[in-house]
Amino acid sequence: MTWTDEELVARSIGGDADSFNELVLRWERPIYALAYRTIGREEDARDVCQETFLRAFRALPGFRGQAKFSSWLYRIALNLCRDWLRRERRAPVVQAPEDVDLQDLAAAREPTESIEDLVARRDLSRSVERVMARLPEEQRTAIILKEYHGLTFQEIADLVGCPLSTVKTRLYQGLTVLRRELKASPAADRP
Amino acid sequence: MSEINCGYPGDRDETLVAYLYDDIDPADRAAFDRHLATCAPCRAELAALGGVRAQIERWTPPAFERPSAASAVAAPARWWRDIPAWAQVAAALLVMGVAAGIANLDVRYDRDGLTIRTGWSKPPAAVAAAAAAPAPIAATADGAPWRADLTALEQQLRTEFHASSIAAGAAPPMVRSVSTPNDADLERRVRALIEDSERRQKSELALRVAQVMRDVDAQRRADLVKIDQSLGQLSNNTGVEVMRQRQLLNYLVRVSQKQ
Repeated sequence: MTWTDEELVARSIGGDADSFNELVLRWERPIYALAYRTIGREEDARDVCQETFLRAFRALPGFRGQAKFSSWLYRIALNLCRDWLRRERRAPVVQAPEDVDLQDLAAAREPTESIEDLVARRDLSRSVERVMARLPEEQRTAIILKEYHGLTFQEIADLVGCPLSTVKTRLYQGLTVLRRELKASPAADRP
Repeated sequence: MSEINCGYPGDRDETLVAYLYDDIDPADRAAFDRHLATCAPCRAELAALGGVRAQIERWTPPAFERPSAASAVAAPARWWRDIPAWAQVAAALLVMGVAAGIANLDVRYDRDGLTIRTGWSKPPAAVAAAAAAPAPIAATADGAPWRADLTALEQQLRTEFHASSIAAGAAPPMVRSVSTPNDADLERRVRALIEDSERRQKSELALRVAQVMRDVDAQRRADLVKIDQSLGQLSNNTGVEVMRQRQLLNYLVRVSQKQ
């Protein structure tokens, strides 16, 4: 039987540790992806992910279900990412090695993908990462939450604490910058 | 703000992005559909931003690896387990040897049984000489204030011991005498016990040494097998690496030929 998030939360509050483990298994990858795309460091993203669940576990008795559990988790993770960025006083780091590690590439290759396609995919991914890292934090966050996590504009507005129209404007501005920058990027020219 | 001024009533940029993500009120969607039918710049921008979305969805974070509590706990000791057992034994013996050298360790096994003496920073011969011939207070005073006190204490103990020996003269003969027939018999039995103990200790030591040698040998064999396997794996990896290099080279050649 598959429990909903809210049911698992209720069981966790009742003392069922397995239910909280189930929530962690369900949400650790999205939270890690959010943290990585926001701060750009693999190891720190893992730390943020771990800390998010730790804080959620501690604050679970106070969770009354006013928002979805996922939104609540996203809010904790985003706050931790903001703290990290503030502490580091810098934009997200782009971890793009200069050389191509063929072993890594081969491991990441889809079964039907040729090595040329694989190299092109990696290049594009790095270009996107570089350009995203240069966006202002608000625009980047709006794009990440909408594009990669599928939140509604209203959910994003509630999460970041700004009007709905502001979220749309940030998204439009961010996408426009990405369009311009990616056009100038050689990797983006490839099909 | 967009530089496009197409005359759309309301906030054109917000509506466009809401339309793009299909997160829009149905009435607004219908209105924007009608607008798009007549506005080429909006259609072009919508298509371009759709292309941006297609590009940015290719950005994937590195694979998630869950931090393992067990591995974190075991990590500090891992380097030690990687050292072969024979090297660990050698290192332990070396440390013991150095420590024994520093401590002037003197191990003897004779009629008196097992004797272990340490004489920090002083050779055993010097220690023995010092014990055999206690020097007077003035002669032993080498500048250390405690040495004079120690010698005085030794003198006092000797005096007390001598006095107790004299007092023991009144004790029963069985205790006082050292050369009665019963004592000789007792001495023989004690010697037999000591020899027996010595034999047992020797055989136990031999057993333990043999066991250690067997363990070291077994571990050495296991290490050799492991090294052999690692070399085989390395060789395979090198082959795979060469193959990938060739594939990349082929790719580069094909790309250069296309250009």
